[in-house]
Amino acid sequence: MADLTIDERRRRLARLLVGFGANVQPGQTVMVGGDINDRELVRAVANECYLAGARFVELNYFDLHIKRARIEFGGDESIGYATTWSYEQARAAAAEKWAIISLSGGTDPSILAGLDPDRLGRDNSPVNTEWLKAVSEQLVNWTVGPSPSPVWAGVVHPDMEPDAALELLWAEVERVCRLDEQDPVASWEQRMGDMVATAGRINDHRFDTLHFQGPGTDLEVGLLPSSRFISGGSETADGIPHRPNVPSEEAFTTPDPTRVNGEVRATRPLDVGGTVLTGLRVRFEDGRAVAIDADQGAEVLRARTAIDDGGVRLGEVALVDGESRIGQLGTVFYETLLDENAACHIALGQGFDYCVSGDDVGRINASQIHIDFMIGDDDVDVTGITGSGDRVPVLRGGAWQL
Amino acid sequence: MDDLLTERLAELAVGFGANVQADQIVMVTAELGRESLARAVAAAAYRAGARYVDVTYSDAFVRRAKIENAGDDAIGYAPPWHVERMKQMGEQRVAVISLEAAIDPAATDGLDPIRLGADQSPVRQAYLRLVMERLINWCIIACPTPEWAARVHPDLPVDQAFELLSQEIARVCRLDEDDPVAAWQTRFDRLTEISERLGEHRFQAIHFSGDGTDLTVGLLPSAEWACATFTTADGISHHPNLPTEEVFTTPDPRRTDGVVRSTKPLNIEGTLVTGLTVRFEGGRAVAIDADGGADVLRGRASRDDGASRLGELALVDGEGRIGALDTVFYSTLIDENAASHIALGSGLGYLVKDEGSKQQVNSSSIHIDFMIGSPEIDVDGVHDDGTRVPVLRGGEWQI
Repeated sequence: MADLTIDERRRRLARLLVGFGANVQPGQTVMVGGDINDRELVRAVANECYLAGARFVELNYFDLHIKRARIEFGGDESIGYATTWSYEQARAAAAEKWAIISLSGGTDPSILAGLDPDRLGRDNSPVNTEWLKAVSEQLVNWTVGPSPSPVWAGVVHPDMEPDAALELLWAEVERVCRLDEQDPVASWEQRMGDMVATAGRINDHRFDTLHFQGPGTDLEVGLLPSSRFISGGSETADGIPHRPNVPSEEAFTTPDPTRVNGEVRATRPLDVGGTVLTGLRVRFEDGRAVAIDADQGAEVLRARTAIDDGGVRLGEVALVDGESRIGQLGTVFYETLLDENAACHIALGQGFDYCVSGDDVGRINASQIHIDFMIGDDDVDVTGITGSGDRVPVLRGGAWQL
Repeated sequence: MDDLLTERLAELAVGFGANVQADQIVMVTAELGRESLARAVAAAAYRAGARYVDVTYSDAFVRRAKIENAGDDAIGYAPPWHVERMKQMGEQRVAVISLEAAIDPAATDGLDPIRLGADQSPVRQAYLRLVMERLINWCIIACPTPEWAARVHPDLPVDQAFELLSQEIARVCRLDEDDPVAAWQTRFDRLTEISERLGEHRFQAIHFSGDGTDLTVGLLPSAEWACATFTTADGISHHPNLPTEEVFTTPDPRRTDGVVRSTKPLNIEGTLVTGLTVRFEGGRAVAIDADGGADVLRGRASRDDGASRLGELALVDGEGRIGALDTVFYSTLIDENAASHIALGSGLGYLVKDEGSKQQVNSSSIHIDFMIGSPEIDVDGVHDDGTRVPVLRGGEWQI
């Protein structure tokens, strides 16, 4: 890709997010969100939206310096405040069935440095239920994609010269988004088709439990009777297919939050709100994480998971095979969008109601948090256990067995 | 512009321009590239006790993408919630601070003038209503940017051009005074005095003559003269344009006659209209010609019935700091304060105190100012009996 101009590289990434990711339809309003430093990619995305027939592109920039001004100088009532029209916007998105494209990448941690952690912690806009409704009722076709930036490149490749770090990050993003293929969409269609078929075969077994075994790991994750693995794309209520994450390499479901037992060792470093955890080890008993240890940073994860009852229970289990280009790179991106697709992972916190049905909807884990961490690797075996106790190999050496 | 000037400019916009009140919500609108001042304004507004500062960034290059590549249904469209937002902003009596600069010409060069002219958002009309009904305390303030500087000083390296423009804006915003607010207060006292005298004369028309211009603008008997100090319906005084040097009124949209030649280039969202001449008959602009860009102004002036009639008449004397710099800023906010000017489009209804006469004020979805004054243009007031009183000669007040 290095022979392409930067504009052309942005155009290819933008085209993938607009056409394949969100699948923007003629006449749609599209909300494009990103950090104030993502403007070049935002412009490219907006241009592709209009070429795809969008009626309006709504820019939704966030600027951490404005947040800093609020934390530093705002009165108490300004912390966590939301305008009435921010709800109006979300209602419009649901009623008019917008497309939504969000760009994700590392931001400069120094912008918020030195601020009162208490005010910073409370400055979460009230959960905008209108947005949750738009997504959960599948009224919007949406995607989240990566936006390579100098700041992010510095976080991922801190020992390199800035230009070289950015060039490498771009190359890595292009690799994991399959933009190095002649026809990236065809490549994704094939990969996601394979993943959907694999998820279907896993679901056909109606496993009761998944068993992870490897160095430092011997963990059983119980599933709910209706837990269904989902992969690839999603579809709006009106039948517009879209891919919520680009890239995506996982088949995931929501487990039984009361039936997780054993020990697990994280296979990748984990970034929790700017703190990096290494050598993470967690012991579960009857669904609860009863011991959280790490070579560094364990106290941050202990504090986060103590936030509510569901914080120490699982909301997600996801399977990723060795074909994942993110896993193959071995790079830690400190960005969940990419890192969670590197390897099999579990998440402490909120589950996904659309992965289950019937009475199970009320049994999934509920929490304010959702923290993914990687537990898979080539030397971690994954085995499915059926209700009658039969053991079926699922992943061996990173390769699907079914 | 260094951090200190940026902060002084932000403090002027918040404390004197919009006059942000404790517990108000403040909307800040800025093009990309104006983040430094937007952030300084946000900080100043929070220091002034703002409840919340909502910063909205826009991007002229995304607009360009729309004009170039979008379908016809996209031109002039905005999601209806944008209008609803304006309504709620009025109900909640917010403060609004807009950062003004000339946009990068690369954002508009070569665009189809018809599509560009037709791309007028309905939100603009909703915003003008907030202004006319005096629901918001607001301020447009000049924001130096490198792109703007390159436009104003094309012969200088961009960093020197930016430094010079920053100094010029500091000068015209009176930031070089020890106490900029006190300096502004003195200037406003003088402009208030002039507008009161103009009002006492009860002229039936104002006549401009010289240098290719012979234009008579009829006045409404019940319309007042004012300078740019406003008070909201709730009594918050504010200064909507910084800098400002003008005294103005809203004229009779049926009684403008003659020919006027623009004395400075006019920038319509990035398209430069040069050498503009407009002929008026019975209040209507019946001929719009220019050396360049006439079609964009013609497009705007044909948007609705009121778009070809006048909504504003403003007089500027030579004491203003802008005219003295003799710089063309390619920005109406500043350039209109260098010289006397008129505006096509919506009028200023609040200047008409008599309810029965309010419907005589021009109504339109546009409001485009262009400069018609210079030291070479004589301005006279015309009484009902036809007698003439000199108002401006060589840029100096005569009344």
